[in-house]
Amino acid sequence: MSRPWLLVLLGALSGALSRAQNLEEVVKRGETIFASTCATGYCHGPKGSAGGAPRLSARGFDQNYIAGTLARGIPGTAMASFAATLSRADFTAVVAYLATLNGIANPSLAVSGSAPPAPALTLTPEAASGRALFSDAVRGFGRCSTCHEVNGIGISVATPISEIPASVGALRSLSTPQVSTAVANSESMPALVVGNTRRAVIFYDLTTVPPVLRTMDPAAVTIADGALWRHALVIASYNPAELAAILEYLRVTGK
Amino acid sequence: MKHPRLAALASAACLAASGQTTAIDGSTHADWPHYGGSTYSWRYTALDQINVSNVKSLVPAWIFQTGDYAEGLQATPIVVDGVMYLITARFQVFALDASNGKVLWQYRYPPPRPGIPGGLSETQESRGLTVGFGLVFFGSSDNHVVALDQKTGHEVWNVAVDDPKQCGCGISAAPLLVKDKIVVGGNGGDQAHRGYLTAFYARTGRLAWRWYVIPAPGEKGNETWKGDSWRFGGGSPWMTGSFDPALNLVYWGTGNAASDFYDAARAPSADKSRDTNLYTASVVALDADTGKLRWHYQEVPDDQWDFDSSYEVILMDREVRGRMRQLLAHMNKSGLTFVLDRATGEFIGVFSTPEVRNWISGVTEDGKLVGRNEPKLGQVGNFCPSAAGAKSWNSMAYSPRTGLLYVPINEICYDLKPTDDAPQEGHGFMNSSMDFKLPPGRATYSHLDAWDPIAGKRVWSYPYKYILLASVLATAGDLVFTGNPEGEFLAFNARTGDKLWSYQTGAGHRGSAMSYSVGGRQFIATPTGWQMGLVGGLGPSLFPELQIRGGSTVVVFALPEGSK
Repeated sequence: MSRPWLLVLLGALSGALSRAQNLEEVVKRGETIFASTCATGYCHGPKGSAGGAPRLSARGFDQNYIAGTLARGIPGTAMASFAATLSRADFTAVVAYLATLNGIANPSLAVSGSAPPAPALTLTPEAASGRALFSDAVRGFGRCSTCHEVNGIGISVATPISEIPASVGALRSLSTPQVSTAVANSESMPALVVGNTRRAVIFYDLTTVPPVLRTMDPAAVTIADGALWRHALVIASYNPAELAAILEYLRVTGK
Repeated sequence: MKHPRLAALASAACLAASGQTTAIDGSTHADWPHYGGSTYSWRYTALDQINVSNVKSLVPAWIFQTGDYAEGLQATPIVVDGVMYLITARFQVFALDASNGKVLWQYRYPPPRPGIPGGLSETQESRGLTVGFGLVFFGSSDNHVVALDQKTGHEVWNVAVDDPKQCGCGISAAPLLVKDKIVVGGNGGDQAHRGYLTAFYARTGRLAWRWYVIPAPGEKGNETWKGDSWRFGGGSPWMTGSFDPALNLVYWGTGNAASDFYDAARAPSADKSRDTNLYTASVVALDADTGKLRWHYQEVPDDQWDFDSSYEVILMDREVRGRMRQLLAHMNKSGLTFVLDRATGEFIGVFSTPEVRNWISGVTEDGKLVGRNEPKLGQVGNFCPSAAGAKSWNSMAYSPRTGLLYVPINEICYDLKPTDDAPQEGHGFMNSSMDFKLPPGRATYSHLDAWDPIAGKRVWSYPYKYILLASVLATAGDLVFTGNPEGEFLAFNARTGDKLWSYQTGAGHRGSAMSYSVGGRQFIATPTGWQMGLVGGLGPSLFPELQIRGGSTVVVFALPEGSK
């Protein structure tokens, strides 16, 4: 046997060995993710043995079906899409693990229905604090996310933030020309109008937080420009340092 | 209760003050206006046209298929003035002529905003709506509360209660109409979330009050939490409560503490006889106008089994040891059923309903749990009953004629192996998977029982092979109705438990039957269509031979016309 032959053989062997080792690690990782994400609650049970959601082991699933279901979810059921929530590597790992539960001893590691992960935001400590404050659940309805959606968190009552106030003072004295006054049943209320047609007037009633989206017969309501409503009133749960942190967060994320 | 005599005097004074000389009446008549029939949650109709002597003649009067089959039909239909209001699991609302099923209007909620995968916000599981002030109210899986015009089905107001992307929570329960407000519970207590009840003014949708199950620092009860564990301690009150107008109190059962199966990060004391992690796994009484807590009774201090107490609260006036008392009866997932004085929260009695039980060895005469068998970190343990519930969320019924509660009980156990993972807001925070198992040595795994709540005695029991996950309806015709996963709708003699009648409706039962009348004709209506996820999913996984069918249909029965 000539040396080059031996080298090729050894190389092939070590390639096979490292793939096997890699596969074992990937499947192990998939098992860990499955245990903490898919087996929990009333879902698929330990090792896919069934809980409130169906059994996933020994079902004869092929890898494409597993990847497709994991990527798309099953609309109308509790089975959500994991395409955006698992990284590509984790997605592949879960698919590989589920394949092994379905008798596929040597699953492909090329199957993926997951989008590449979004680049992680690098936040300064102040901006990170601002992000937490923006949607701070302890404040109940007194948090920014009651009316604003930023980076997928919050309720989009207000239109997307296009201009970030330069200072806390500017944020507090924010002019809100889009807020009108609605009068219905001889009661007047601050209103953010989102629809005004012959059939219906649709507006957010800003009298209390959370805002209430109300739909009225045009004959029953009149809308006038201007309102006594002030943005400063609905951000009163935050102190100036907290508001500064929130502004920093908005600046960093470009919202 | 430190001063039982004082409490008794106060209770008598309340009865006198409210001008109440007879026991409260929670029965329904022609209408079925609330989720639980009345706000006392009896699920009992005073109609007796259909009774033990003629139930065998029941025939379908009309059938309505919603066309929205995912997750079955879990709701309680509401009937007001001859119109039936119905909501599917995915928030399609129908108004039907209750005499023949003709569609008057239909409303389709837009696809809900996605939440956090694996969270309860991802489960579209509406269990009911409520009607009042010319409006129809419901909550959605993405935490919107919506009011529709009762005559047209057009949206009148819509308010966002929380962000499912952040809290992992949603709304599945029917709102409760309380005077000029609706009170709405939310789910998500198995996530890292802090549960709450929210009240809105019915006419405008404006916020009336919010009550957090878990007190914040500085509020009484926060000291029953370790560190900042209160922030993500669960407790979500995810079903529908009750209301006593005379006492002006709203009653609600609260959810489990989180993390569900591992307590070391949240329980500040090893003393399990004391209230721990307030106000989880409790019954609470709130002032109807302000939402302020008036009293609480914690049923499972330091809950480590996900035995949340979010179920229905049945209000009744009964004689106890020779004295008329204002009471409530309430079961949590463990099957322990507590009877309390509803004016004061004083403990009156307790009984345990499942036949297989190892999570405690017993309960003392004053309601303390004895012999707690707690899950241990990293160790597999088997516990009975399971977090699927000795009873699931489907309601029991109460008949004032028999004085009995009618309760479907399941005998299911589960293996737990607790972990100590840290919370991540809105994400699953149970800290163990659940491996549901049937207890060995049995041929039947559920039973429909009749319990005397005052004596704490089981009066009759009807065993069933599989699980029972439909609510119960009791009637003045001394009948008890419920349905099973095989599709049978069943009628029993309320006094003896004899099965009198059944009808194959074609799909498993996971909703709540009710009764009403139009033009003097009594109807019995039952939703059919199995819930395929959550606890309903245990049907096919525990009983592979059971071919449970989904669906989403209301089947309405009556005596043949002219046969009265």
